Amino acid sequence: MTSAEHDRAIALIANPPAGSKLAAAKEYGVDLTLLVENLRLTTTERLRKLQSAAEFLEKVRHSVPQVR
Amino acid sequence: MAANFGKLLALFSDANVEIVVIGGVAMNAQGSAYVTFDLDVCYKHTKENIARMCDALAPHQPRLRGAPENLPFRLDADTVKRGLNFTLITSLGDLDLLGEVTGIGSYDAVLQTSELREIDGKEYPVLSLTGLIQSKRAAGRKKDLNALPELEALRDLKERMGRKE
Repeated sequence: MTSAEHDRAIALIANPPAGSKLAAAKEYGVDLTLLVENLRLTTTERLRKLQSAAEFLEKVRHSVPQVR
Repeated sequence: MAANFGKLLALFSDANVEIVVIGGVAMNAQGSAYVTFDLDVCYKHTKENIARMCDALAPHQPRLRGAPENLPFRLDADTVKRGLNFTLITSLGDLDLLGEVTGIGSYDAVLQTSELREIDGKEYPVLSLTGLIQSKRAAGRKKDLNALPELEALRDLKERMGRKE
């Protein structure tokens, strides 16, 4: 994604066209900025990011103290 | 443990196992921010492919997820040929093998709805956004329906940007 395409994407998600799926998702609570950032990555980079997030969340999950 | 997505995919690729990447990993490949811990694939349900798949997975101690520890199970060609969907634990993490995808059908139909994506220098068929939306809508569970606004927004954004991927 070029810098100009990125700017266009940011403008689109800041003011999504009325009645669009983008507008519906924003209303639903989807963080559209995450999608734009992911589209800047290659598929390999997206999956490395997923791997890293999944491993981190798993560590957090296992670090939660047991309730007595 | 989070699945090692790269190693599991390479395992299939190296053994020429015919699969399509589906589920949360496909969502991520398409740009979603959804976090998943397992790899879901749709496999071609033929004798030869099943044999290659079982041979490739054998060194990674596949066993049924959520089944009693003492339940006898062996992932071999006969077992897979008789069944369809298997949720497994392996030494490379959780892996779901699906013979068909809700709302789309079996491997050939899923492959038709996929796009080739390069991951770590190898090409894999990955379920398209349209396929993901179709399957999530058909599955209809709350978690599937919750994923729809993001997937539809991604498709809308890509179309408006004139992007194929």
